[in-house]
Amino acid sequence: MHPEIEALLDQAENRFLKGEELIAFKRQAATLAQRLKIYEFLREKEASIFQPVADKLQETFPDEKQETLERSLKHWVLVLRYCSMAMLLNDRNFLEQRFLDWLSGIVEAHQTQKIEATVCNLLQTRLKELLSEQARSILQPFFDQAQPIIDQGKK
Amino acid sequence: MINIADLLKQPRLPGNYFASDAYVRGDLELGLLENRRGDRLLALPETLIQAIYIGLEQETGQASRLVLFNCGRWWGKNFYVRFCEEVSEYYDQPVSEMEMVQFLQCLQQCWKTHGWGTFELDPRYSEHGFLIVKIANSLFAKTAPKSKRPACFLEAGILSSFFSQLTGRELHCLQTSCESLGSECNRFILGLRDRLQPADSLVEEGKDHEAILSELFSKN
Repeated sequence: MHPEIEALLDQAENRFLKGEELIAFKRQAATLAQRLKIYEFLREKEASIFQPVADKLQETFPDEKQETLERSLKHWVLVLRYCSMAMLLNDRNFLEQRFLDWLSGIVEAHQTQKIEATVCNLLQTRLKELLSEQARSILQPFFDQAQPIIDQGKK
Repeated sequence: MINIADLLKQPRLPGNYFASDAYVRGDLELGLLENRRGDRLLALPETLIQAIYIGLEQETGQASRLVLFNCGRWWGKNFYVRFCEEVSEYYDQPVSEMEMVQFLQCLQQCWKTHGWGTFELDPRYSEHGFLIVKIANSLFAKTAPKSKRPACFLEAGILSSFFSQLTGRELHCLQTSCESLGSECNRFILGLRDRLQPADSLVEEGKDHEAILSELFSKN
């Protein structure tokens, strides 16, 4: 959890934090409030973020089984939840360790990369509409980590 | 029309149950290593595995292969029960109703998280009645005593028992390539005993995996 803070605590195992370490700690604490705010927003708006995505997805794949589209939507509901948690923890390894490897395998087996890529793009557009530039810059690096889910099919 | 509110009604959407940082836990005060359900886990030192191999070889000679295979069968039998219990509890559905894709993905993750290496099932030959399993980075191969034939009898036993219970047919398992012999992975063929039996002498002769497979297909 919070690798930067953990690293600071490890370094200062038997001494006080140095000046620059304290500044780094304060920076982490300050961004935590911002991260929490974005996390709460995404949590509250989850349904309204995804409903337009679902509608457009059905328009794009009118002949696809609803069950298949729902499965892909659930994948991206989870991706956003995991990304949000990774952002809150400021942990770049969280998504990969917890979810990415598992989901990539499932998507590859189902061969639904095209649908997943569409959901991903629609979701990106939706997040652009709803989040401020600053909020997006905090979330985006974590969201970008989900790219291998789609890239699997291009191998 | 897809109603997202309905999709989100479930109290939680299940993810990767066997994610290593969520799965392996410990109670340091009690000195226990546990999984996320509270079942006890045990970390084995590499030297103990080596000692088991050497001890068995000294005491039982060639029979050590059979002993290890049977130990694996016991392990696999219990592992299957525990695996199914955990998976069906977490994903809230009986294993029999689970998609095969998800089941196998769970098995791969489980294998990896327990530190047994990476696991891959190749179902391409299922029409011929054979399943191929590939395992890489296996400690059981790494610590095996040097021999001219594949050495992972313990894993062969686990796989035989696990897939017998999964398919409801009594399956035998034969290893055809081994990391201990310089292969990039350990390959196992699963199939009915009488159909797989001819391959045993081919392994003994040192034939490679592909050659064994093609001979098996020609005989069956």
